[in-house]
Amino acid sequence: MGPQHWLYTVPLRLRSVFRRRRVEQELSEELQFHLEQKIEEGIAMGLSPKEARFAAMRAIGGLEQRKEEIRDMRRIHWLTDFFDDARFAIRSLSRTPGLTAFVVITLALGIGMTSGTFSMVDALIFRPYPVPHPSGVVTLVSTTHDNSFDNFSYREYLDIRSKTKSYDGVISNADMEAVGFSAEPSATPRIKGGMLVSANYFHVLGVEPQLGRGFREDEDQVPGRDAVVVLGPDFWKQEFASDSSVLGRTVRLNGTEFTVIGIAPETFPGMLIFGHPDFYMPLAMARGFSTDRQKNFFEDRDDRELYVKARLKPGTTVEQAQNELAVLAKNLESEYPKVNRNRGAALHTQFEMRTRADDINWKFGVIFITLALAVLLVACTNVAGLLLSRARSRTREIAVRLAIGAGRFRLIRMLLTESLILAFLGGLAGIAIGYGVVAWFHSFQNVIFMTDLPLSIPFQMDTRVLLASLALAALSALLCGLAPALQSTRADLVNGLKSADVDVPGRKRLWGRNVLVVAQVSTSLMLLTASFLMVRGFQHGLRDGTGFAKDHLLMTTFDPRLVQYDAAQTQRFYKLLAERVREAPGVQSEALTQNIPLGTDDFDGVAFVPDGFQMPRDRENFSSTMDTVDEGYFETMAIPILRGRSFLASDSAEAPRVAIVNQQFANHYWPGADAVGKHIRLDSRVGTLVEIVGVAQTIKYQGGTEKPMDFVYMPLTQHPIARMTLMLRSSGDPLQLIQPVKDVVRTLDPNLPMLHTMAYDDYYLNQAVKGPEIAMKLVASMGAVGLVLAIAGLYGLVAYNVSRRTREIGIRMALGAANSDVLRLVMGKGLVLVGIGTVLGLLMGFGVEHLMNSMLFNAGGVDILAYVIVVPSLFLVTMLAAYVPARRASRIAPTQALRYE
Amino acid sequence: MNGWAISLRLKSISGDVLQVSEGSLYPALHKLEQEGWITAEWKQTENNRRAKFYSLTRLGRQHLEKEAANWSRLSAAISHVVRLEEA
Repeated sequence: MGPQHWLYTVPLRLRSVFRRRRVEQELSEELQFHLEQKIEEGIAMGLSPKEARFAAMRAIGGLEQRKEEIRDMRRIHWLTDFFDDARFAIRSLSRTPGLTAFVVITLALGIGMTSGTFSMVDALIFRPYPVPHPSGVVTLVSTTHDNSFDNFSYREYLDIRSKTKSYDGVISNADMEAVGFSAEPSATPRIKGGMLVSANYFHVLGVEPQLGRGFREDEDQVPGRDAVVVLGPDFWKQEFASDSSVLGRTVRLNGTEFTVIGIAPETFPGMLIFGHPDFYMPLAMARGFSTDRQKNFFEDRDDRELYVKARLKPGTTVEQAQNELAVLAKNLESEYPKVNRNRGAALHTQFEMRTRADDINWKFGVIFITLALAVLLVACTNVAGLLLSRARSRTREIAVRLAIGAGRFRLIRMLLTESLILAFLGGLAGIAIGYGVVAWFHSFQNVIFMTDLPLSIPFQMDTRVLLASLALAALSALLCGLAPALQSTRADLVNGLKSADVDVPGRKRLWGRNVLVVAQVSTSLMLLTASFLMVRGFQHGLRDGTGFAKDHLLMTTFDPRLVQYDAAQTQRFYKLLAERVREAPGVQSEALTQNIPLGTDDFDGVAFVPDGFQMPRDRENFSSTMDTVDEGYFETMAIPILRGRSFLASDSAEAPRVAIVNQQFANHYWPGADAVGKHIRLDSRVGTLVEIVGVAQTIKYQGGTEKPMDFVYMPLTQHPIARMTLMLRSSGDPLQLIQPVKDVVRTLDPNLPMLHTMAYDDYYLNQAVKGPEIAMKLVASMGAVGLVLAIAGLYGLVAYNVSRRTREIGIRMALGAANSDVLRLVMGKGLVLVGIGTVLGLLMGFGVEHLMNSMLFNAGGVDILAYVIVVPSLFLVTMLAAYVPARRASRIAPTQALRYE
Repeated sequence: MNGWAISLRLKSISGDVLQVSEGSLYPALHKLEQEGWITAEWKQTENNRRAKFYSLTRLGRQHLEKEAANWSRLSAAISHVVRLEEA
């Protein structure tokens, strides 16, 4: 056929769409002409005009049917039908504005909650790296018995680079860290977020700087030689107002001068989920930053601080790369038995990394999205129920349509168009709600991230989320609309034409509706149980207390690297700081600690071997979380020392190494014995000997709901750390101590900044309480929405039942039924449904509880109280929802009911 | 020719053997029009009435020839079979 065929057909089709009225007119005219000719023929044959007309009409058949057939011949009738249906749907929907509004709002709530949650899940799991061809970027990890996602050391990274063939490039980076930044040499340094990266970082990822250049290979060769820095795009905008003259300028990072050589592009905010690095430095400059002071970053093969990623060569599969990597790990194991024993290596895609079982983001994501989908399900079932009753009340209209020849499929299409429009409106409103939810998330940014680092909440309604929401809306339309459409077009024509409302007796009639109510009740129950459990879980954690005193504490953090102190100067600073601040007015006691208790910073780990312990064959050492503290710590934080002693001034750098462990640790490694006097060796069986001099009470270290964990404390004098937090216990208001501390610091060094100075109370409130509160609020709101929807659904069902059986009720009452009989009749079915729904909901609730227990915290076994409260409440509330319309039914005067049509 | 004329013609040519139901004529005409094989034009009849007149397009003529050839082949084959003759 070809294009010439289209010359005829396309204008025709366009005409059918855009010049509808004209085309319809012509159609009528054409058939009319034929009719008239036929009549004339009849008259000519001797029939009377009336008879001729009858004959002609009979010959042609139904005029409208013929017209419809002709219309069907037009190829684009799908489109015009859709427009027709849409117009009709809008008209009929606006005739029942209440119902329409209710349906739209219900759908909006369901879709809104889901899209808001999806924005979170998208940011945490699905969003690809902001680089070209993100699927080619894989993550390499070091694996041990304890840790399947460990970092590599510098030397290991170099080995991977040189000894593998599967990659187009292997890059590495350290954690984003706090760096003292000053644009002018004389300015006081401010804390910004910097990241050490390999020289090929930008090149391998495919990121082109918007100004200047990335790092050259030779700039990463000699440790400490090339002080060059690439700025992040947001930082450049904020700090330098996008001034391009910043290229070539010198800035100070942790006191060292660096030259700005490039700006990363707008499209590359960084590879992290929760933050955008302010600038990037080459790995060779590692010494000037927060790398482990005890080790040599470039030489020690067990100084594992680097994350490694790579681009797979095209044509190489993940398996091949994985095998090659495993072989390399084995070789390293035999070459360096001391540091690489039982250490393997593995390769993961971005998706695998994001969805690993131990990742807290993944766990929360799964739970929230499940709950949100549950809300959406309830919303959809509600809407389906409403649409069913609406369709039911149009039985006569549908019967008429079927009678004059409409195909069943055509009618279904018409009804589905209606639900599509509802879903579309609901989807738009839902997306608006989704934006609201995301904005709500963003409002917590300052609460969750109380640090100086450029951390932010990445949840956004980007294209992917919007598309997903629209798809969800369309799916809901199908879900809600299909069942009613199918059921109502199956209508019995004769009965349908007789009355506006089909009052067909029989079991199958309300089957669909019943299933919906049961589904709603059970889902609501599950949602409520989930929220209750979460709330209780957090409360338990909080109520158990933290184990240390939180009140009357002032905290402030120092990092002498910001003013270029070396190790000796740093130690001297802290010694003098502690001494002088102890004398300050209002200070009851002081403490220095590496980690703020229950803070967001990661704790260091310590690798050790308990002396004389029989190590299992495949383990080189055990590991534990640790903190570095000074002598005043346990007293200031009111942590009881159960056995032995706290650190003393005599535990100096020259004295034998000591440590304090917590009760959990002591029971773990020396059960039944006194840990005081025992020894551990650091790193391996022949490492530095450390004596345990005290056992401290086990407290909460990282989070309010954590399980008890092993913990080790080391004295600051023997384990020097640069960045420490000063905690001061005050007799009065802790904020009164700020000025005295400032005075003391000024005597030591007027240039040294005090970082996030605040009362510990406030910090704790935000970190440990407000954070989880957000999660709780989200789940609770989902539970509440689900419940409201379920109640509305149940009310609607019973009210509808009543309205349809009004005549029947009238008859019963006329025959002598009492009010209570009617009540029982109407409510009876409803109660049965609620009962079934409750049982199902309980089962689902058990499942959710199990899921939460395994994934999250120690909500501890089956929480009976939750069920004791939630189940009866739900039952009561749903009973009420059924009771109200039922009562109204029992009050109806029989004569009125009988009159009802 | 307009629809009415076509139906009369069909009746007369086939010697009243084929009686196209008036109802199915117009859908068929419209289908042919949509396929691009015939084209239509509104004109005045002899009695000065407006009617839609159809005519074959070039494409339609080609299609007609092809279909006519197919039909000849088919009908010849069938009649041979019925008379048990060799083709």
